[in-house]
Amino acid sequence: MSENSVNIIMIEDDEGHARLIEKNIRRAGIANHIRHFVDGTTALDFLFNHADGPARNGPALILLDLNLPDMSGIDILGKIKADAKLKRTPVVVLTTTDDKLEIQRCYDIGANVYITKPVNYESFGKAIQQLGLFLSVMQVPEVGDDA
Amino acid sequence: MTITDRSFQRLVRAAMTVGFALLLIAGLTMVHAVGDTARWTASVVHTYEVEQTIGRFSILAEQLETARRGFIINRNDASLQTYRRTMHDIPPTLDRIGALTIDNPSQQRRLVAVRREAEIHRASAHETIARMEDASPAMQAMADFGVDRSFVAMTDLRRLTQQMVDEEERLLVLRRAAQDRAGLSLYLILGVTGLLMIVVMGAALWVVRRYTTGLNASQDDLRMLNTGLEDAVAARTAELSRANDEIQRFAYIVSHDLRSPLVNVMGFTAELEATIAPLTTLIDRVDAEAPALMTAEAREAKADLPEAVGFIRSSTAKMDRLINAILRLSREGRRTLQPVAIDLAALTASIRDSFAHQLGATGAEIDVDGPFVPLVSDRLALEQILSNLIENAVKYLDPDRPGRIAVTARREGPRVVIDVIDNGRGIAPADHERIFDLFRRAGSQDQAGEGLGLAHVRALSYRLGGLITCVSRLGEGATFRLSLPPNLVDHAKEPSR
Repeated sequence: MSENSVNIIMIEDDEGHARLIEKNIRRAGIANHIRHFVDGTTALDFLFNHADGPARNGPALILLDLNLPDMSGIDILGKIKADAKLKRTPVVVLTTTDDKLEIQRCYDIGANVYITKPVNYESFGKAIQQLGLFLSVMQVPEVGDDA
Repeated sequence: MTITDRSFQRLVRAAMTVGFALLLIAGLTMVHAVGDTARWTASVVHTYEVEQTIGRFSILAEQLETARRGFIINRNDASLQTYRRTMHDIPPTLDRIGALTIDNPSQQRRLVAVRREAEIHRASAHETIARMEDASPAMQAMADFGVDRSFVAMTDLRRLTQQMVDEEERLLVLRRAAQDRAGLSLYLILGVTGLLMIVVMGAALWVVRRYTTGLNASQDDLRMLNTGLEDAVAARTAELSRANDEIQRFAYIVSHDLRSPLVNVMGFTAELEATIAPLTTLIDRVDAEAPALMTAEAREAKADLPEAVGFIRSSTAKMDRLINAILRLSREGRRTLQPVAIDLAALTASIRDSFAHQLGATGAEIDVDGPFVPLVSDRLALEQILSNLIENAVKYLDPDRPGRIAVTARREGPRVVIDVIDNGRGIAPADHERIFDLFRRAGSQDQAGEGLGLAHVRALSYRLGGLITCVSRLGEGATFRLSLPPNLVDHAKEPSR
């Protein structure tokens, strides 16, 4: 098993944000495959039904934005954490909201990490790189589980 | 009060005055009439007395005659005694008649005649008795001598006394008629007075009743108006509070949605900035190694790129500050309020102390003047409101005069009113509404600020169920008036109308 076995599933409606996140992930030295979805419906469909989706095939990490055009990211988070197969998939909430109540709600539902998108780009880059560190730590046991 | 009401009042006052004047006249007339009746009654009694005295005199005269004759016949002691008594009694009786009829000349004239005849009668009786007592028979025989004289006198006396009695009878008839008339008029006056009294009392009662009814009605009206006013205030506050909630939600959503593209702008600007260095190096190299490839536009671009990126950065930074301000405002709007009993004096004093260093520099003073009104509200929100208002007052003092800032509080109807009054540079009336808007400021822009303070104050006031208004003229200081419900708990319980 290669390091690339962990798919990163990014649910983010803003193309710009998606691009910036991807750039910073790559800059952090993470080469995992990234699948990008711009709305909740197709993302959910992939997560639950697709052959390559985490429900059927392999470990994944989900990067989730809360403000989506067709549904709230909180709903997606709830569905993931309520599913028997998907609930162990780590979810990183990456959004503009820094409201305490909102953050608490996400953690209550089962979000693993909550990152606020900082407007300051330097801190943004740092945050993503820290996420990269996190990824490099978490993929080890996943590989071990599979082996 | 309308004009008809006022003229009606004048009419009522005039009518009542006339009524009471008539009653007074009636009372006086009655007193007069009673006096009249009493006088006529007295005169009737007087007439009776005169008649009675004349009657007594007649009897005395007859008794004297009887005694005289009885003595001639019997010479007995009983007759002699009667003679003596009547002789003695006649003059005082005549005097009495004289005294009683002193006011009647015709009776007085008759009385003179009566006196004369009475004297003749008495003298003749005296003579008869004297002769009868004389020892000589001749004298005794002459006792009858006086009889003839006496007889004539007696006849005259009878006639005269009858005349006098007739006169008195005539007077009696007149006086009785007058007495009856006086009695009748007394009854009449009594009746009229009674009637008048009933009318005046009735009118007074009617007026009192009318006024009482009017008073009750206007009291009811006033109560209704008051309730209506309170309702209107409550409705307005609820409306504002609702509008405020809506704005808070709007601000929250907008600030979030604005933030999202801003992340991109900032992010890609940073990416763009990162490309400046390699591009500059490349242009410099081309310029040095192959100047033929170099264009003027490329050189210009090398200079413009950092400048453009710099402007984008500073603008996005400002936009980020503004969005954060809105976000802060909306977040404050969603904070759960905690109503507690607030000691306004202590709160204001602590805010004043926090401005002490700023005040020390300018020589300005803050008076905390009797804010001892009981108040239950959210301490943090109220503190932010007051400290924003006081901060503004301190910030915008007029440097040409010593700064005076006063904080007062009082109960005004169902609200607590807190005033923050300064003698600073003032605000033009046209700006009174504007200053409460987000990012809007008034007057010369010589002080730092984003135009957030008063917007924040207004949002907080609405949240506390309050209203904030500004009274000011340019150059004359400003008064910011905060009106709050005295108890936020009760206010929150009230159903929004």
